[in-house]
Amino acid sequence: MKKTVNSIGRHLFLAFLVVFWLTPIAWLVLTSFSGYPGVNISHFVPKSFSLDNYRLLLWNADTVAQFPRWFLNTLIIAICSCTISSFYVLMVSYAMSCMRFKMRKPLMNIAVILNLFPGILAMIAVYFILKSFNMTNSHIGLILVYSGGAGLGYLIAKGFFDTIPVSLREAAKLEGASEQKIFTKIVLPISKPIIVYTVISSFLAPWMDFILAKIILNSGISKDWTVAIGLYNMLDKSLINNYFSRFCAGGVLVSIPISILFIIMQRFYVEGITGGSVKG
Amino acid sequence: MRNFFNGIGNAFKNVWLAIKEGDIFVKLSLIIMGLGYFRRKQYIKGVFVTVFQLAVILFEYVVGIPYLSKFNSLGTVQREMVFNLNTMKNEVNDFDNSFKILLYGLVSLFVLAVALLFYFMNIVKVRNLQIADESGKHINNFREDAKDLLNEKFHITLLFFPVMGVIVFTIIPLLVLILVAFTNYDETHLPPTTLFTWVGILNFKKLFASSMTVTFGYSFKKVLSWTLIWSFFATFTCYFGGILLAMFINNKKTKFQKMWRSLFVIAIAVPQFVTLLLVRNFFADTGIVNTICTHLGITNLFIHLGFVKSSLSYIPFLTDPVWAKVMIVLINMWIGIPYLMLIATGVLMNIPADLTESARIDGANAAQIFKKITMPYVFFVTGPYLVTSFVANINNFNVIYLLTNDVFFTQNQYLANSSAQEVDLLVTWLYRLTSDEYNYKMASVIGIAVFLICAVFTLVAFNFMIKGDKEEEFQ
Repeated sequence: MKKTVNSIGRHLFLAFLVVFWLTPIAWLVLTSFSGYPGVNISHFVPKSFSLDNYRLLLWNADTVAQFPRWFLNTLIIAICSCTISSFYVLMVSYAMSCMRFKMRKPLMNIAVILNLFPGILAMIAVYFILKSFNMTNSHIGLILVYSGGAGLGYLIAKGFFDTIPVSLREAAKLEGASEQKIFTKIVLPISKPIIVYTVISSFLAPWMDFILAKIILNSGISKDWTVAIGLYNMLDKSLINNYFSRFCAGGVLVSIPISILFIIMQRFYVEGITGGSVKG
Repeated sequence: MRNFFNGIGNAFKNVWLAIKEGDIFVKLSLIIMGLGYFRRKQYIKGVFVTVFQLAVILFEYVVGIPYLSKFNSLGTVQREMVFNLNTMKNEVNDFDNSFKILLYGLVSLFVLAVALLFYFMNIVKVRNLQIADESGKHINNFREDAKDLLNEKFHITLLFFPVMGVIVFTIIPLLVLILVAFTNYDETHLPPTTLFTWVGILNFKKLFASSMTVTFGYSFKKVLSWTLIWSFFATFTCYFGGILLAMFINNKKTKFQKMWRSLFVIAIAVPQFVTLLLVRNFFADTGIVNTICTHLGITNLFIHLGFVKSSLSYIPFLTDPVWAKVMIVLINMWIGIPYLMLIATGVLMNIPADLTESARIDGANAAQIFKKITMPYVFFVTGPYLVTSFVANINNFNVIYLLTNDVFFTQNQYLANSSAQEVDLLVTWLYRLTSDEYNYKMASVIGIAVFLICAVFTLVAFNFMIKGDKEEEFQ
């Protein structure tokens, strides 16, 4: 008897926590279907429901809200920077994990030091440098910025490569395979988890990033923006009363693909973090 | 450290020996870098190296000399309109752009340093080639050299582009901003219209000084202490909250473990800029939470208890300094705990079962097992993560900016004078200084301060962890 009460209490407590955690998400979804465009401050559940927010967002772009355009911009930026940075990360982590050369330790130490600088500081300087090359407000500039320094984030992938038995590579070497062959034909095919993790996480970065895009795409021309800046702009004081529900609709639309990718990725994320740190 | 200096000493000795003992072609490589290779019939390599040398010289001649010659003063000619007698029009004069001088000067110094490194390494290589040739060893032809880049020297192929990327997009920008900290680059010295110049360590002095009008010293102390308090609470609330939640879900008595976990993950799978902007409207002064609180009488209760000023008719969740700080930490728990739950789940599942099993047989109860086995193990595995997440929280821009920008306005005139706010972290203050005030010099100084704080903390923490190294205990 005591056991069942205990068990019910345990699950009720969890359910309570879940409700607490999901309330804002529920509010997001409910408001996105609201018939009232501004912030509804008196009722949690909107009084009237409609699909207007989605319809306006997707098919009636105006000067403020150009969601399809932003989505396309972000998608292109994400695909390009994901390709470059995945290659960079995998290349650096393989070199640092599996190869031995004189500069290995010094380079790793430099990477640790560089990671201690506040990212925003470098971003501000990057903005000036791009500006002196006239590359601000261009997507190419943003792609370069997202992917240029990607090599520094090699630690999780290195942790994975460290777990691949050395004997495997040595056997291949005895058979006469070159390092490049070992990398592409032996190590990469058995590294699917970490490749998936690297690709998804670098694909997600431009979708999740807000501040870097805001610094670089600062022209105020709505059609150049990414989803994050566009949605942020909708909450401007002068716009929020007409666009808040549409902001929620945009939030829902962009969250669906991102959540799916995130949930696929998180499994590898956990493996990477714990796997990497066990070995110190 | 000694190793490092020994290494440099040895490198110079090697170069000197190579020059002294090398044949005439090695010595001539000091003038034309490719000559040593031509002598050993490595023609293509020789051409490449010589072209590299010419390119560097050309670059330094076209970019380096003009900009480096002004590097000392960062430019002297102010932008002006000058009447041109030939075209009979007002035209912009040939002005100096201080930022360009700084940037290109730095880049050409960087190129020069790298080129010199190659130059000296080249001598040693050419000398080694001579030794190999004279002792009758095989000398690689170009095809073999290229093949080596996919085999023994594959790391060079792998690392070349990533390292170039890091140099261009991280190292050079950071160096530029470190230099800016020693100039007077601010709203009254903005290129291209006005010049800026070197001021030594004046800005660093300013960060610690306070007067009636300049209040950086005052603000720095306040912002720094909040930054540290915030990092401490943000890191540890999420850490312990996440571990407890993970243990609660992982308990054998909990049914549907996977479902519970996924429900929590949904909250963090939505991008932060969506959730945080939403939550900030949720808790706005005229927001829905305030409406509900008023209806339930909570607002009146708080006013009664003195938590809320009696002049207000709402709870200032994100507009009162104290309330905002508490709310920021709580909202951050909302985002952070599911993350830590995920990580802790992975760690907990890896705890060797025999450890807890044998403890149980020895008669330990659940609390003892948690204190003596689970926590030390989790601590050991996630220790490095704890350090990095403390540093990440010092630099946690998103949470603070998205929750408080355009919502929180400081009433403290001293803070406002240096465009800081009670809820600012050093990084958000730094950003506000650049985006609103164009005060790049102070922003750079603050950035350097952040780096020093993070570096010192990381070093101390890792030293401490290495001392208490319990690697053997758990293996």
